[in-house]
Amino acid sequence: MTNAADQLDQLLTVGEAPAARTKLQLRGVSRRFGAVQALAKVDLGIAEGEFVTLIGPSGCGKSTLFNIVAGLLEADPGGEVLLDGAPASLLGKVAFMPQRDLLLPWRNVLDNAILAAEVEGRPKREARELARAMAADFGLKGFENHYPQQLSGGMRQRVALMRTFLFDRDLMLLDEPFGALDALTRAMMQRWLLDIWSRYRRTILFITHDIDEAIFLGDRVVVMSARPGSIKLERRIDLPRPRDPALLTTPAFNAIKRELLDAVEEESMKTFASGAA
Amino acid sequence: MSRATWRGLAGGLVLLALWEGVVRGLGIAPWILPPPSGILATTWTVRGALLDAGAMTLFEATAGYGIGAVLGIALAMLLALATPLRKLVLPMVVAVNSVPVAAYAPLALLWFGTGALSKIIMVAFIVGFTVFLNTLDGLLRVDPAAVALLRSFGAGRLGVLWRLRVPSALPAMLVGLRVSTVRSMIVAIVTEMLGSQKGLGWTIFEAVLQIDFLRVWAAILVASLISLGFFAAVGALERRVVFWR
Ligand SMILES: Nc1ncnc2c1ncn2[C@@H]1O[C@H](COP(=O)(O)OP(=O)(O)O)[C@@H](O)[C@H]1O
Ligand SMILES: [Mg+2]
Repeated sequence: MTNAADQLDQLLTVGEAPAARTKLQLRGVSRRFGAVQALAKVDLGIAEGEFVTLIGPSGCGKSTLFNIVAGLLEADPGGEVLLDGAPASLLGKVAFMPQRDLLLPWRNVLDNAILAAEVEGRPKREARELARAMAADFGLKGFENHYPQQLSGGMRQRVALMRTFLFDRDLMLLDEPFGALDALTRAMMQRWLLDIWSRYRRTILFITHDIDEAIFLGDRVVVMSARPGSIKLERRIDLPRPRDPALLTTPAFNAIKRELLDAVEEESMKTFASGAA
Repeated sequence: MSRATWRGLAGGLVLLALWEGVVRGLGIAPWILPPPSGILATTWTVRGALLDAGAMTLFEATAGYGIGAVLGIALAMLLALATPLRKLVLPMVVAVNSVPVAAYAPLALLWFGTGALSKIIMVAFIVGFTVFLNTLDGLLRVDPAAVALLRSFGAGRLGVLWRLRVPSALPAMLVGLRVSTVRSMIVAIVTEMLGSQKGLGWTIFEAVLQIDFLRVWAAILVASLISLGFFAAVGALERRVVFWR
């Protein structure tokens, strides 16, 4: 147990004050599928420990971008993806959480959470101990032995997030993790994620199609253009942390929202006009 | 026992009573259709011989079943990993499998003799195909997004096979194993009818030659009971293994 506690400590250890070291750098990343140009020259840098939210109309290439960063998809020649300043084979280097939770129905909560750890070759017992110690943080205490079919949507999403956190990588990619949840659960999960993030400090790139969510969570909001996707706009969100729901009704929040809404709507209208939405 | 089992049992009893009544009421000759009471009485009288024959057939069926299942599952896993080999082998397997079973039986008797071996090989052949095709289908029919997730964790082909493909294939594999139980009994009996000195198929064949139709029916009864038991046992295993369905 002390072993698990030590490891949990390690997971929780906050690095020195966030230096402005670049974690991930994309330069001129493009991708074409046959006749469809999904991404066109995406340039994006993410600093260590930063929480970046990515927003854009559906079909603009957000998931494609994620698959490239996760190493699941090759970018077209000419682009560069640098992790910690160096080009690298990305498979197994970033913690990727796809759009659907993809929990395995034959594994209980703990065993789903340790899937990535298991693939890495970590001993099962040790990984389970660690997951057991984390269960409370993820609101899963008492549900360790339940199967995914027995859980609510919000809980399933937390299991998937725990699996992602247990895959101990500095960079996390979350693809619309709360997209399928109802508004109340979603608001609760957002606050919870911020809390978790502040304690298990990681660099996060988070896709959403909800502007409020993008502003509420992010240190920076990145707006993507309609297909072919590229970066249309970046906006630093200097709202104080910790953030609570009251923030959503402040003038500062609304000013940012109005500014971003214009950009996002312009792109959504392009998508709509091209008949892709 | 579950409610469905009781209902099935009750239905069976009603059917037997009806059968008995119709045969007696219409005075049907016993060589056309004997009454259940007659079949049961004969079964009891020749129980020793029937038990020996049943044990033989069950041995052939289960031995062939075990061999076929193991080979079918192993081949499915191999071909799930080796895509080029699969594209080469699968069409041949499907072609061979679409020929009716009984057509191969005389060859099996010619090559492997009239003892248990020819039956075991025939059963293994049929069970192997069924289990192979079901398992391979299950292994290949996985969510591509789940494969991508495992790859993002750094899993290779074997890791994906073991942690994702095999568990996802269990439902299809167990369906194959369940339908194979009855097939294994059918194939063992048919092959026995075509050439052997033992087993229920041989008992039936011999009784037909001797125009002893009650013994034919008694052997059919024993074969059906064994088949049902085998099916139920694998069905119970299926419910335990595939608990999430
Ligand atoms: N594997 C693929 N093959 C062909 N086209 C694809 C593939 N993946 C994505 N696309 C296309 O690329 C575009 C961007 O898709 P995606 O990245 O999923 O968008 P988003 O996540 O922003 O909704 C879409 O038009 C989609 O049809
Ligand atoms: Mg998407």
